[in-house]
Amino acid sequence: MRRAAGLRAPHPGALVALALAGLAAAAFGALIGAAQDRPSVLALDAYLRRILVFSLGQAALSTVLSLVLGAALALALARRRFPGRSLALAALGAAAVMPAIVVVFSVVAVYGRSGWLAAGIEAAGLAPRPNPFGWPGILVAHVFLNATLAARVFLDALSRAPAEHWRLAAILGFGPRATFAHLDWPILKREAPGLAGLVFLLCFTSFAIVLTLGGGPGKATLEVAIFSALRVELDFARAAMLAGLQLAICLSLTLLLHWAVTQAPVAPTERLPIARPDCADPRLRLLDLVVLALGGALVLPLLAATLEGAAALPRVLDGDLARAATTSVTIALVSAALACAMAIALAGAAQAARERRRGRLAAAYDVLPALVLAIPPFALTAGLFLLLRGRVGATEAGFVLLPLVNAIGALPFAYRFLAPALATSAERHGRLAALLGLTGLRRLAIVDWPVLRRPLAGAFAFAAALSFGDFGIVALFGGAELRTLPYLLYERLGAYRLDEAAAIGLLLVAAAFALSAFATRMARC
Amino acid sequence: MLTIDACRLAWPDFEAEYALEAPAGSMLAIVGPSGGGKTTLLNTIAGFETPVSGRLAFDGRDLLPLSPAERPVAMMFQDNNLFAHLSAAQNVALGIRPSLRLAEPDRARVAEALAAVDLSGLEARRPEQLSGGQRQRVALARALVSRKPLLLLDEPFGALDPGLRREMIAVVDALRRSRRITVLITIHTPEDVLDRADSLAFVARGRVLVQDAPRAALDPARDPAIAAFVGHGAPAKS
Repeated sequence: MRRAAGLRAPHPGALVALALAGLAAAAFGALIGAAQDRPSVLALDAYLRRILVFSLGQAALSTVLSLVLGAALALALARRRFPGRSLALAALGAAAVMPAIVVVFSVVAVYGRSGWLAAGIEAAGLAPRPNPFGWPGILVAHVFLNATLAARVFLDALSRAPAEHWRLAAILGFGPRATFAHLDWPILKREAPGLAGLVFLLCFTSFAIVLTLGGGPGKATLEVAIFSALRVELDFARAAMLAGLQLAICLSLTLLLHWAVTQAPVAPTERLPIARPDCADPRLRLLDLVVLALGGALVLPLLAATLEGAAALPRVLDGDLARAATTSVTIALVSAALACAMAIALAGAAQAARERRRGRLAAAYDVLPALVLAIPPFALTAGLFLLLRGRVGATEAGFVLLPLVNAIGALPFAYRFLAPALATSAERHGRLAALLGLTGLRRLAIVDWPVLRRPLAGAFAFAAALSFGDFGIVALFGGAELRTLPYLLYERLGAYRLDEAAAIGLLLVAAAFALSAFATRMARC
Repeated sequence: MLTIDACRLAWPDFEAEYALEAPAGSMLAIVGPSGGGKTTLLNTIAGFETPVSGRLAFDGRDLLPLSPAERPVAMMFQDNNLFAHLSAAQNVALGIRPSLRLAEPDRARVAEALAAVDLSGLEARRPEQLSGGQRQRVALARALVSRKPLLLLDEPFGALDPGLRREMIAVVDALRRSRRITVLITIHTPEDVLDRADSLAFVARGRVLVQDAPRAALDPARDPAIAAFVGHGAPAKS
């Protein structure tokens, strides 16, 4: 495809990429600048070693447990048709989008000292009281969030197996063992590395859950350590060092995953409901029953815990809540809009590069949104705050930085919604648009918009859901002046006003569920 | 002898009733418009669809109570005939034992079947290292080792070039003659089988409209649907 020679204005996507790189560089520069007078902290001290071991250990264990339980749940749900199955699927979806701070509340409400489990044990006349703080609470919360995610990803992959394979299995007389070995296992094996990487990354960088359920100074992730260096110890040098470490680990993991995970294409097939040949096996029937019961016992109480808040709802509907809700909605809308704009610009730049046959540049644009997941949000926030300090107060800075950093956090997800849609549009109408001389915004409006509309609505809703439920950097700025709904929940939780926390949790869950259900529907077009 | 007699199937949006016969060792081509019920016919014989009434028998044995694995049927599709994580030889071995635990005589059978479809030497290749034609040969070899006397081919060579398509049909023809296999093949390009098939069934609207010698069965005068399919005369109203 030929283009006019001469100077071209840079693509907006190039500007976004530069701005993102610039922001990250400026933030790290500011942190390192603040660190200059105390170079000694760069040593790996005993405390740091301890939290590194803990972070990696809990992330590894959470990942293994999540993937094993997720795979077992997916297989059980693939094999069985039972009344309430669609409800079980909806529960998986709801669990996977539950905001982390709400999960914390649920873990306390179910497994805490005065929780449901304790009440049950007491009623049974038994002595030991459960204590969710430390390893058990963190693992339960992480497995709840990620086993449900894994189950959905695995189930989706299993259901995309070619119908021909199921017919061959029936004709060739596959038993349960051969069905697992030739049909299920290759699919699980193909999905597992990417999923394991994602879950590990999510657990390794986990903040709200580890901060509130850690229960001891050694039980922290790097993210929590960065937070306490910034908010408790006011030690920017230490924060910069920790952030550098976090960045290095996450970046190498992200890049490794990006190169390691390639998906083999599967020829499209008609979808016929073919009975699986392993349905009738009595041992598998028992296994699936146990797995479904176990999954239900983990997922359902934690999902149901917020429902208790319905009774307390009238009590929390006060001025504080209205202000916090307004703040949350505003931040969510701004950050979702920002995330979508950045994603469209980057995806457009990738597409333009592809059309000019510059594959490497296009690949760089494609990997950039995934890379920003590796940047510790606290480091980014703290660095930018250092730059703003003196010019604006902490609360004003919070109002600017919260939407910005949330938008950057939502960028990879928005990109995943939007980039394929833009590519489809280019495939269908790219040449025609070029022939007609449609470029830039005009092309976006006439050619891409019809294809982009639904994915954009989906991306916006998903980004808004992420931002709305986020309890991350608001922990840095939160206070009387700046409260979001998750922050309000955190405060009530800290004051052990569990029924009020439940009510706020219910609002957050309802919003997250509605937004993500809408996003899923929009993505299925 | 395959006998299908007044086999009725019903869904909310589609209804079919089949009747046809195929002598043992014959090749029957099944032709007709898309959505007319060709694949449903094969699925019914294989046991993926259950008729509400009618008779389905092979060599006098009632097939309807049997599961797909118990029926004397091997099947092959246009795509996804092979499991990507298994080698060519392992994919063939599935036709003998799904556990892949083979004794020495079984191994010899696998090698013999691969030789019969001209794939000796490619035993260790994975499906992605084989061409489209070679993959279909592996699937044929698996049908051979399973020793099922009835081979159902569902548009098996539709993705291949015309020359390769005719070559593959010649392979199928030679195999069914040497091993007395009854072959049912659905095909979009009837001209490829006119000289090889013993008879041709024209299927549309869930019915076998005509079954006859291939050229005679495609006579446009016999039914407006056939005329529309082969492109002569007035278009049919369906």
